[in-house]
Amino acid sequence: MLAEALVSEVLQKARAGGAELAELYVERWRRRALRVLSGEVKEATSGIEYGAGLRLFYGTEVVYAYTNDLSPESLLELTETLVKLKGSAGQVDASGRGGLDFRKAAAQGLHAPAIPFTARDKRYRLERILEAEAGAQVGPQIKQVQSNLMEWEQEVLVANSEGVWAEDRRVRTRLYVTAIAQDESGMQTGVVGPGLSVGLELFDRYPPAEIGRKAGMQALTNLRAKPAPAGSMPVVIGNGFGGVIFHEALGHLLETTSVAKKASVLSDKLGEKVASEVVTYIDDGTTPHGWGSQEFDDEGRPSERTVLIENGVLKSYMVDRLGSLLTGYRPTGSGRRQDYTFAPTSRMRNTFIAPGSTPREKLFEGIEYGLYAADMGGGQVRPGSGEYNFAVKEGYIIRHGRIEEPVRGAMLVGKGPESIQRIVAVSDDLEMGPGMCGSLSGSLPVEVGQPHLLISEIVVGGQA
Amino acid sequence: MTFEEARDYLLQKAKALGIDAEVLATHTRELTIQAHGGKVEEITQATQGGIGVRVVVEGKTGYAYTEERTPEALDWVVQEALENALLQSETGGFLPAGGALGQHDLLGEGLSAPLEHKRQAALDLEAGLRADARVKQVQMTRYSERETQATLGSTQGVAGAFRNGYALLLTSAIMAEGGSLKQGYEFDLSKEFHALEPGRTAQAFLQKTGRLLGARPLKTGRYKAYFEPKAFGQLLGMMGWFLLSAKNVLEGKSLLAGKLGQKVASEMFTLVDDPTLPDGLASRPFDAEGTAAKRTVFIENGLLRTFAHNSETARKMGAPNTGHASRSYKGVLGVAPTNLFVQPGQGVKQDDGIIISDLMGLHAGANPISGEFSLQALGLKVEGGELAYPVENFTVAGNFLELLSNITALGTELEWNPLMGIVGSPMVEVAELSFAGA
Repeated sequence: MLAEALVSEVLQKARAGGAELAELYVERWRRRALRVLSGEVKEATSGIEYGAGLRLFYGTEVVYAYTNDLSPESLLELTETLVKLKGSAGQVDASGRGGLDFRKAAAQGLHAPAIPFTARDKRYRLERILEAEAGAQVGPQIKQVQSNLMEWEQEVLVANSEGVWAEDRRVRTRLYVTAIAQDESGMQTGVVGPGLSVGLELFDRYPPAEIGRKAGMQALTNLRAKPAPAGSMPVVIGNGFGGVIFHEALGHLLETTSVAKKASVLSDKLGEKVASEVVTYIDDGTTPHGWGSQEFDDEGRPSERTVLIENGVLKSYMVDRLGSLLTGYRPTGSGRRQDYTFAPTSRMRNTFIAPGSTPREKLFEGIEYGLYAADMGGGQVRPGSGEYNFAVKEGYIIRHGRIEEPVRGAMLVGKGPESIQRIVAVSDDLEMGPGMCGSLSGSLPVEVGQPHLLISEIVVGGQA
Repeated sequence: MTFEEARDYLLQKAKALGIDAEVLATHTRELTIQAHGGKVEEITQATQGGIGVRVVVEGKTGYAYTEERTPEALDWVVQEALENALLQSETGGFLPAGGALGQHDLLGEGLSAPLEHKRQAALDLEAGLRADARVKQVQMTRYSERETQATLGSTQGVAGAFRNGYALLLTSAIMAEGGSLKQGYEFDLSKEFHALEPGRTAQAFLQKTGRLLGARPLKTGRYKAYFEPKAFGQLLGMMGWFLLSAKNVLEGKSLLAGKLGQKVASEMFTLVDDPTLPDGLASRPFDAEGTAAKRTVFIENGLLRTFAHNSETARKMGAPNTGHASRSYKGVLGVAPTNLFVQPGQGVKQDDGIIISDLMGLHAGANPISGEFSLQALGLKVEGGELAYPVENFTVAGNFLELLSNITALGTELEWNPLMGIVGSPMVEVAELSFAGA
């Protein structure tokens, strides 16, 4: 995407200005988005995003600059500005002169799409979306269906003054269907949104009609649901996107971004038991075609599978370059960024609780009164205190060990480290679900996942 | 190619193809200085810009954008925008006619202080927090400034540009006392760097987060709620704007649809949007389609007066255009507020209930379509007119429209919150809401 000689010149110039490490990140995106509401195309957009980010390390101090003017003059001027901003002029490093010998690594196409970005016309895409809409018509109460199709193609180059040169190409596709049901009691929604590192073959893996049907059924369930109860009770969390609770309550606490500053309640706990022994927690950036998979991270390091917690014992954090410098922990290929406008930080990829051995039905046995959170919405956590909250998208009351009437509007709140100690049983039905995770380095595609699991006690916020 | 050259290239190309086009280019400069441990930890300097086109062909509207300003990229953009337009079934799209709107500078020299002073502001804010022994960890402290130049042009004659920007101090930290931990944040925002005072922002943080230490669980029940301006501003920015957007009304997503002229809130509630406020952080001379800025009263003494319109929604609903068109170069035509605020009232007398100081999880816990919300909150219990103790681990839930109708008092002072748009609110007292805790 950028001539090797220019990349080399920029990195050398930064080194000569006193930076210990210089890293250049260049990318070009082509994106398409199609929003269809009740059969009509409401929005169709396409775009090119194109830019570069330059990061300089002075020990653990970092300066970052980005631009989308990638001409040699602009990049060299930017480098000069950045060196000046740091105010370290005069500390010229002679070792920065001389040629850089890049070790070039290119993606092997592990997550390459079967149907490329340029294939098929827009009409084909629209027809698949209309199938999803038709599928969502599961009852007369379904008043509206909205479908969003997002397609991304990202070319990335990361090079640094240590000789790293990694090129990756990432293609992602997601279909997101929202069904709105209405009757005299009000309006409720159902949302289903599969996404993978694939092209339009997403429609083969997740037939649009089936996606629509699921969204429609969820909206109907919420429509007949009563307001959720309030109070403290046992909760069974469903598999797949249910894993968002531990993404929030556990995953974010294991990123060096907060661990290095001791801003996480799980800092300095390697080798310690931090969760119930039924919990094994893994972050895997290598899952073929995973929504959060990529061959290299955004610092040019190969992606890997990182076991974070094994049988309740903390084994590793998620570590980026800066995090490694600050903590001494081995980098885990976890440096990620939304795009060139962000410097990378340690982030999750595809993160899940490994399957356990309790059959799903057994989880419910013995619960006199509790909540079954069959599907989850988004959530939030404050890593310093571990306080989290997240919304239940589809919930049911558990009474005498049985799943009974649906409830809506439930919010689970608590403190992460307490909740992970309270996981008393994990089932064997692991599933993953895609989401967008927002943090310091922007909004990123990640998968969350888990089997069904039982938490002995959690605060449920509802309309008492 | 410069932005102006790229704009002209696109308009020329559109004319040659016989299609109507509107080109919006924005160019942003940003500087962020992050302090940590008494040192400047991270500096980010950025220039970013892009061009978005909206084309109308056969009454159908399409969009595309690019950050790469080469003829190949611009040609791809026109081609994609055209294809995107032809995919639409809806016709009746049009670009508003317009004329010269002039060049406006709303920022002036507000950000022109030396870099050293800006570094010092970030360092001083962090030091101000660390001076308090209860501050266990300062997670993030930053000075940030942003300057944006927006240029609008169309084949219908619209042509104009303006420049605006702001300076921001922001911090997030953890306080601890006797086993109780609280994470909080504080900010100050101005169009003048010199109006920021790190010491004042640090004191505000210490006061607002410190008072929550030693929080006790809240007993589940129904209580009177006192929303602090910041908390109400977040809720209003998220829910209120969604309901007022004519775009959402037309799409059948707004609970306020069909309620023009009706009572939708307590009669002490008046909601205004004013892009002409001289110090307004979201002030602008014209909207994203070139419609001149003016003050709009959406809700007056509880009565719904108008929705927020752009030219497209106004034409569809047969209503006057309120000049709320919004579009980023990457986005599509929408409606957005500028400086949105609740008119202050006669004052709130706190007797018994819960002061809500902060709300969390708005993106997941507030559903603007149903109007229902269930949100994790931080706050304090008031008993017999006195602050009794801070409370934690609870949610507050209800329906936003019911909440608006149950407003029983409004504070006298307006505070602005930039977290969910630029929203101003006084303290808001609500007769009763459902709280879930221990």
